[in-house]
Amino acid sequence: MLHKIRVLIVTDSLQLGGAEQVAVDIANSLDRDVHEVFFCATREDGLLRSSLADDVAVRILGRRATWDLPKLYEFGRYTKLNRIDIVHSHGRGTMRFVSLARSLGLVDARHVFHDHFGRLHLDRSAGPSLRLPLRSSVDAYIGVESRLCRWAMEAVGLPPDRVHLVRSGVRLDRFTSVAATDLRREFDLGQCEVALVMIANFRPQKDHPTLIRALAELPPSERERLRVVVCGSTTADPAYFAGCLAMLDRLDVAHLVVPVGVRDDTPSLLAGADGAVFSSKNESGPLVLLEYMASGLPFVATETGEIAHAVKDAGVGILVEPRDYLALADALSVLTSMTPEERTAMGAKGRALVVEQFEQHLAVAQVEQIYRLLLRIGAEPLA
Amino acid sequence: MTDEHEPTHRPRFPRASCDLSVVLCTRNGEQWISELLESIATQSRPPDELIVSDDRSEDATCSIVTDFAGTVPFDVRLDVNEVPKGSTRNFASALARCGGRFIALADQDDIWYPRKLECLVGEMEEDPTITMAFSDAVLIDEDGVVVGRSLWDTRLIGRTLRRHPVVAEELFARRALTTGCTMVVRRRAVAAALPFPDELVDDAAPMRHDRWLSLVAAAVGTVRAIPEPLLGFRVHPAQETGVLVGRQLQRAISLAVAGVLRTTTHEDDRGYRTRAVQLEVAADRAEELGDFEEAATLRGVAAHLRRRVEMTGPVGRRLRSVTRDIHAGAYGWDRLGIAAAAADVVRAFTRPVRSSVPAGRTA
Repeated sequence: MLHKIRVLIVTDSLQLGGAEQVAVDIANSLDRDVHEVFFCATREDGLLRSSLADDVAVRILGRRATWDLPKLYEFGRYTKLNRIDIVHSHGRGTMRFVSLARSLGLVDARHVFHDHFGRLHLDRSAGPSLRLPLRSSVDAYIGVESRLCRWAMEAVGLPPDRVHLVRSGVRLDRFTSVAATDLRREFDLGQCEVALVMIANFRPQKDHPTLIRALAELPPSERERLRVVVCGSTTADPAYFAGCLAMLDRLDVAHLVVPVGVRDDTPSLLAGADGAVFSSKNESGPLVLLEYMASGLPFVATETGEIAHAVKDAGVGILVEPRDYLALADALSVLTSMTPEERTAMGAKGRALVVEQFEQHLAVAQVEQIYRLLLRIGAEPLA
Repeated sequence: MTDEHEPTHRPRFPRASCDLSVVLCTRNGEQWISELLESIATQSRPPDELIVSDDRSEDATCSIVTDFAGTVPFDVRLDVNEVPKGSTRNFASALARCGGRFIALADQDDIWYPRKLECLVGEMEEDPTITMAFSDAVLIDEDGVVVGRSLWDTRLIGRTLRRHPVVAEELFARRALTTGCTMVVRRRAVAAALPFPDELVDDAAPMRHDRWLSLVAAAVGTVRAIPEPLLGFRVHPAQETGVLVGRQLQRAISLAVAGVLRTTTHEDDRGYRTRAVQLEVAADRAEELGDFEEAATLRGVAAHLRRRVEMTGPVGRRLRSVTRDIHAGAYGWDRLGIAAAAADVVRAFTRPVRSSVPAGRTA
């Protein structure tokens, strides 16, 4: 092949979110000697737009449904005009849109689908609306966790050579030499001893109530030593957010938790924290644990998702069963009682683990290999 | 007991002290209990403890349990109630005594297949959001001979559960789907379910311990149905959980459908109100753990039941209320749900203008 591999990364939006962040990181990290990168948000623009590298061409389609025919046509034209070789879709809705465009003959590029689905515990089905596009229009399936890959083979019936496990990676440079935000001053935390950060939109999946109950379980003397700054959308599910606020009041811990909404300076916030916490019910990644580790933070988190399972025994954080607020309270207690030196040591261990196992280039190397395999350009067969 | 429910403060449930408990409630079960105990002892994943709560048996049940305790490597604790409590209250007190992270319920007359605990607990260990897993069962007669249909099929839920293995709280709110002996429940769900509210044993609409546990487990987590039959469920005249087969089943369905089509009585209204209160208590328990969406769903079903009782005003308004509920799927789309909706349409015309239950009457 004489020209570079032209890759179009496709997501629903450029709003802050785990899947979108992975897509942006891949777009920014693909080897520019070999790849030319395009990015398409089929629905809407968002804060992540500013994180995309300058050389990435961006297109926002503004589609309203999978069957948005004018936008399908526009998408097809865009791929043909730019002679795209690989369309790399993230998220199931986006995958359906791309598959439909391909089925209608509007797109003739190879299609890689990156599955971040985090609700496999509730829905292991593979109905026709998933099975058909996956079988007929996806050339390579990337799962961010092994459960998803098993599902793709067993429930969907994809052949194993089309299914690839690629654990998410994190770009260390985003978290290196970052100016730390003084959390105590910025968010009026007073002179608390331990300032923790939790990055999670206020959505039921993130299970803030388990964190709230855990805080309420701590003995008053311990609980008053810490504060939790929660970064994430408070408008994604207003009823849920209202429920969390009511629970904070009811359990008399409202002063311990500071929701600060969506922020585009999370690396700075993490750099200014003493530790991090994550109480999600169910995740496929979660990428945020890598961000905690990349920031050199010790953390308390629920053990859910590929990354949590992978770091479980590495001593880089304290992992507990999801939804177990008593166990989460115990873990918070351990983190709070650690000396600053012990916390720093645990954080450093986490960062070293990221360098060794989760650096972005490792994940991207796998993705590039899949591209080469699809285009049959001197690729070694994947394990 | 009033028909308006008020949340109460609940005592804390102790932390787990072992991995897997089996809770068995007994009463005059000498005829088959040995077979059950033997099948528990030979599980591929044996429990760490067996909690037996006897409800004043007058036969050899307790001595059989005591003899069994000496033959197995796990703890067997037998407690005999001072006075008979009935199965729901008996299970409530037995559940409060067990220490397992996972808690399996047993009935005295069944036979567990060797992989029952392994399979159900394995499913729950794989996914910590699962608060309850339950399986299908093979129906057996008094002699242990297989009678044919599976438990799920006799309850007309087999097709639904095989298609939708994750069971929503709404489904449990509408009907009893399974029985305790098919379940393993995560401690977190048991903690949320205890103490059992007094409304469960209200004669107007009693809710058995297993339905209450399922309802709460679904409201505070995920309930998964495993289609594999993992036990032999004995059908006999003396059992509390009646299972109907063949013509008996068809007749019961016809009677139930005819029942919802007839004019409601004060007793029916009291039943709806009691059920609404039970659902509201379950919603409170879900809300305590932050399951706001699930709590709202249960409150929605409770509100629907109350609307059915309080069908007042002109016919047009009643019909609008019923149509809105049909449109929202509040009746459900199974045979009984459709019959109930049809009955309410009829009732919209026939019911007296004033509410049939005087205001302020207790449930």
